[in-house]
Amino acid sequence: MDVSRRDFFHIAAALGIGLPTLASAAPKRLDQVGLQDIYGFNARGNVTLLHICDMHAHIKPLYWREPSTLISAPNLTGTPGFLCGESFLKHYGMKGKTLDAYFDTFMNFDALAHKFGKMGGIAHMKTLINHVKKERGADNVLLLDSGDTWQGTGVALKTKGEAIVQAQNYLGVDVMVGHWEFTYGKQRVKELIEMLKGKFISQNIVGDDSFAEDYEELIFEPYTIMERGGAKIGIIGQSFPFTSTANPKEFTQGWSFGLRLDTLQTYVDKLRKEEKVDCVVLLSHDGFSVDQEVARQVKGIDFILSGHTHDPSPQPTVINGTVIIIAGSHGKYVGRLDIDIKNHKVKGYEYKLIPVAANLIPADPEGVELVNSLYAPHEKEFSEILGVTKNILYKRDTFHSPFDELINDSIMDAMDSDISFTPGYRWGTTVLGGEAITMDDVYGMTAITYPNVYTFEMGGLQIRNVLEDIADNVFNANPLYQQGGDMSRLGGVTYDIKIGAPSGKRITNIMVKGKPLDDRKVYKVSSWGGNLQNAGTNLNDQLTRPVYDIAANYIRKQKNVDISGNSNVNILDYDCGCPRKGSKSC
Amino acid sequence: MERRSFLKSFGAVAACATLIPSIVSAADEAKKVTGPNEMSIETAISAITGGKAVTPSSKVSLSAPEIAENGAVVPIKVTVTSAMTDKEYVKAIHVFATKNNNVRCANVYLTPANGEASFGTRIKLGGTQDVLAIAEMSDGTFLSGKQNVKVTIGGCG
Repeated sequence: MDVSRRDFFHIAAALGIGLPTLASAAPKRLDQVGLQDIYGFNARGNVTLLHICDMHAHIKPLYWREPSTLISAPNLTGTPGFLCGESFLKHYGMKGKTLDAYFDTFMNFDALAHKFGKMGGIAHMKTLINHVKKERGADNVLLLDSGDTWQGTGVALKTKGEAIVQAQNYLGVDVMVGHWEFTYGKQRVKELIEMLKGKFISQNIVGDDSFAEDYEELIFEPYTIMERGGAKIGIIGQSFPFTSTANPKEFTQGWSFGLRLDTLQTYVDKLRKEEKVDCVVLLSHDGFSVDQEVARQVKGIDFILSGHTHDPSPQPTVINGTVIIIAGSHGKYVGRLDIDIKNHKVKGYEYKLIPVAANLIPADPEGVELVNSLYAPHEKEFSEILGVTKNILYKRDTFHSPFDELINDSIMDAMDSDISFTPGYRWGTTVLGGEAITMDDVYGMTAITYPNVYTFEMGGLQIRNVLEDIADNVFNANPLYQQGGDMSRLGGVTYDIKIGAPSGKRITNIMVKGKPLDDRKVYKVSSWGGNLQNAGTNLNDQLTRPVYDIAANYIRKQKNVDISGNSNVNILDYDCGCPRKGSKSC
Repeated sequence: MERRSFLKSFGAVAACATLIPSIVSAADEAKKVTGPNEMSIETAISAITGGKAVTPSSKVSLSAPEIAENGAVVPIKVTVTSAMTDKEYVKAIHVFATKNNNVRCANVYLTPANGEASFGTRIKLGGTQDVLAIAEMSDGTFLSGKQNVKVTIGGCG
């Protein structure tokens, strides 16, 4: 790999490698930098928690561009969980054009991607995990997974999650919680948990079928206690509280979710007083901003290992003595948390969000073999080159992304609809400008167990109300009433939004194919990945088809994809995509 | 159709269809009051309190989900801190869905023999709103607790 001395110093600085020792050395090629340099860590105490979240089944390395627009309610914008670009760098005191900046922000993404390469992949994660286990002693290390692991790629979908459970067993996941996991259905979830060598825990899933045996009973163990480094660590599980509203109810019929902060407090107290643990950890899929609120309301949690909102947070956020960490998404990072536990108390900690730079961390051969064997049955389908993209295609953004625009284009082309809704999920993939789009990439954007695109009719007023409802889930000033996603991506529509306006009054100037939305007119709407079809009428079931087939056909037909990347949404109360705290601009 | 499955299928529709009332203006709302059970929240409260003041109190704990999983069956629980003796007890717990067409959900009457003032049920919510619990105390005062419950179409694509 060709990395100049200058680049190396950038990398060295980004990773906190001391310059004095290097200044006198001859320029090193990157492959001469040992793991010891790259993963330099101020080891502390007797226990290490390794944290992963939101891998979304990416067992192979990928490119993943972070958002260039990440805006929320005015009280939240510019705070951890709603930081991007320059504001992100400033908040965390980082420099641009470094390896960390490449991982954490969208800035100079194309150029840096060519320089630094892909991210994540289980074979590379495993090398890092092994390194830490060797350094700390395997008996002193836990690998904790905040969920959204089993879903997100073709290989996950085709094996109904099994390939990913094998990957977790290979990585050595000790404990996990879930969200998209549940979209394989209750029965399959139980089968996969049987295959998982680690534990699946959740204090916030309770039976709500009054005729079932488990009525008002916990579905999973609420917590687990593990001994590491001579300390008793109590780990409470918190799966995604809004699974039954964010995803189809049919998958979890009979199970009730929710934040359940009252029972959470009960378990924290029980672990401390009855189980006499030395450290209380919440393994959570609440989302970063929700978990900051949890830390305000629930007393006595030492560490929250958060997930769901895909935020890379290079430094912990501390609220009321509770330390909150979150490790990005798509396998890009492993969070390393060293804890010093003495006399049954947490005395201190050290944290680092370690970027899994696939070109820098060698692949573990066993992992490469496992990935190859899991992909082999599907290789022919997945590796098909559908077309080439002129510009970068990515997913993350509060309102609009080029890859979603491409998917909406393909749906409107196939369905001849006025409006297309593509969900504002935060998982997906990134394809660099000039590169091929494969079937695996299309699955990386669309691989869900309810992939159908539905085409139906909705009234103009109803569409307006649906947009306001979605906006209130994304921009609610109280994080507990958000659901941690982004705005639905709309094809055929442009609109203005005032994010800080009251609920129901945020969206104006809605145009459908260039004409103002008529509240009384009936529109032909296509939608996938949600339950909008239930709100519509005259569902045309003959048109119903999986979104990945529609997108793949369209890209094959286009061959050369040229997506502008220009947003269809005009933000009225912010000047830029990554505003600073308390500011309307960057 | 079984009552249970009816409620479930109704819930799916309700969560979507009831978005519209949330943007209806206050003037329209006044016009909508037609049926015998339909009255404004103020009228419903004063029918119980006789116009006496209602004091928000941490003694009245109302627990409900932040975001309803199904607007047709939202589980709520009200617990009022009280010794429940002949001298001092909770006479009644009243539950209101403040923005439903019919705001009155439940009136539960208690005696000291109940031992504790606690009551749970499931209520139907026609849209995002505050759920309000009013406790009528044996000394003639009224205490209240409330929580906002969001009713949303949820993961609409």
